[in-house]
Amino acid sequence: MPDNAPKPGVYVWDAPTRLFHWSIVVLIFVSWLSADQGYMKVHLWSGLTLLVLLLFRIGWGFAGATTARFSNFLHSPGRVMAYVKTVLGGERQLHAGHNPAGGLMVAVLLLALLAQALTGLVANDGLKFSGPLALQVSVDQSDQLTQIHGAIFNFMLVLIWLHLVAIGFYLLVKGENLVGPMVTGKKHHAHVPEGVALVFTRPVIALALLALSAACAAWILL
Amino acid sequence: MSRAKGYLPAWLYLACVVLVTGLGIAGAMALRPAFANSVKEFFGLQAAPVAAPSSFYLTRVAPLFEAHCASCHGERRQKAALRLDSVAFALRGGRHGAVIQPGDVKNSELMHRITLPPSDDRAMPPEGKTPLSPDDVTVIRLWIAGGASPAMLATAIKGAPRLVREVAIPTLDAEAARRQRQVLAPDVERLSRRYPGLLTYESRNSAGLELNAALSGHAFGDEDLKAFTPLFSRLVRLDLSNTAVTDASARLLAAMPSLRSVRLTNSKAGDDVIAALASLKSLKSLTVTGSKISQQALSQLRSHGVVIYGDGDAR
Repeated sequence: MPDNAPKPGVYVWDAPTRLFHWSIVVLIFVSWLSADQGYMKVHLWSGLTLLVLLLFRIGWGFAGATTARFSNFLHSPGRVMAYVKTVLGGERQLHAGHNPAGGLMVAVLLLALLAQALTGLVANDGLKFSGPLALQVSVDQSDQLTQIHGAIFNFMLVLIWLHLVAIGFYLLVKGENLVGPMVTGKKHHAHVPEGVALVFTRPVIALALLALSAACAAWILL
Repeated sequence: MSRAKGYLPAWLYLACVVLVTGLGIAGAMALRPAFANSVKEFFGLQAAPVAAPSSFYLTRVAPLFEAHCASCHGERRQKAALRLDSVAFALRGGRHGAVIQPGDVKNSELMHRITLPPSDDRAMPPEGKTPLSPDDVTVIRLWIAGGASPAMLATAIKGAPRLVREVAIPTLDAEAARRQRQVLAPDVERLSRRYPGLLTYESRNSAGLELNAALSGHAFGDEDLKAFTPLFSRLVRLDLSNTAVTDASARLLAAMPSLRSVRLTNSKAGDDVIAALASLKSLKSLTVTGSKISQQALSQLRSHGVVIYGDGDAR
């Protein structure tokens, strides 16, 4: 390739990770809208789908591509703080996948979503709808977990707000588009460390993991 | 590590975030009045409405919300994020927004829900809970139509159904009474043989006993009353009219905790007996016609809420 030719983007996000991300975006919106408008059957199915995808993502965090693995993006609190200080100081650190602060955000969002999905299984709407496992707990416990289900949603709103603020910060202040790569899978070469070696997992593994996650969810429910 | 190349300085971005977030919250407040009220009350921009004493809300509406709604929409549980245990919460609404539109019955979700047929899944109170009566619904309708005011006096709303005070009638447990009677049976049988016709049960499903010593007249004295000691705890009515029972039996009467009615017409009982009766919490009525009991002793009993028939020594 001639030196003056435009360098291609670097493939960092595999298809399963991107599909998971945008599916979660859609499912959170559908879950909120269906609960808000009282379409509880839709809410139930969006919640169950979310649970399956979360189980998949946990598995993908161990078996997926380099950038999807927890070992790649989970760092100690000290390292996260050091990264934040660096970024706010105007410096730039290059990461092929999630940066340390983003990794923390992913972990917290995944935990919040998992808690949301699990509490939803035993929650009730106070009318005629109860989660599929609501009968496994007492009415009081179901009511308490319903309150927690609502509180977690409010917490998630804060996390989503923070997520969007960070995306805007990277785009407008740091000049790095985080949304585009999550759509195409490719990052601008200038935002990826030189010589980084990424390993990708075969899509068939993702499909098998998804099937296993669906089976796990079915086992929990049946 | 290299210097970042962005389009905006960080401070300008921060200002944009604050602005956009503020606009977002303002938009949510415009779309959700209940959320707007919560935010305003949180920042002290709006005082939470407080119900006035003697208001229509407090005297008529709040008891209905408490009895029919608060178990699911109260302090302990807030189904659909709705609370109806205070006027502030009721007006604030729930997850789906305001449920009360002051002055607008037709568009008040609460009114809609409580007037749905019971077969409707969205009817309130839900199946299994005590339903609101037509009069209850009228009370709530009048309150909302009148502006859902926390302060409007009960007298200001015309046409409200008369306030009905509900009285719970205790149900008798026939099986428990049967078991209690089994315990009493030997003494009841023995004393019924010795004092024929004086002792009866107050009703078929009760172990409460009535002792009508008046049937024996002067032949029934303090010793005779003492003979009923094993049954004292079950005596609910005692008629000592025309008997020879005196103040010497005062301590015996004090040992009859279930007594509700005592008749002392033309008896020899005096103030000591009355003092003993004053210690009985269940006593409701006392007849003292023709007795020697002083007004002072009777006034003490009256102060305990006992209804007294006759004047004692006031003749």
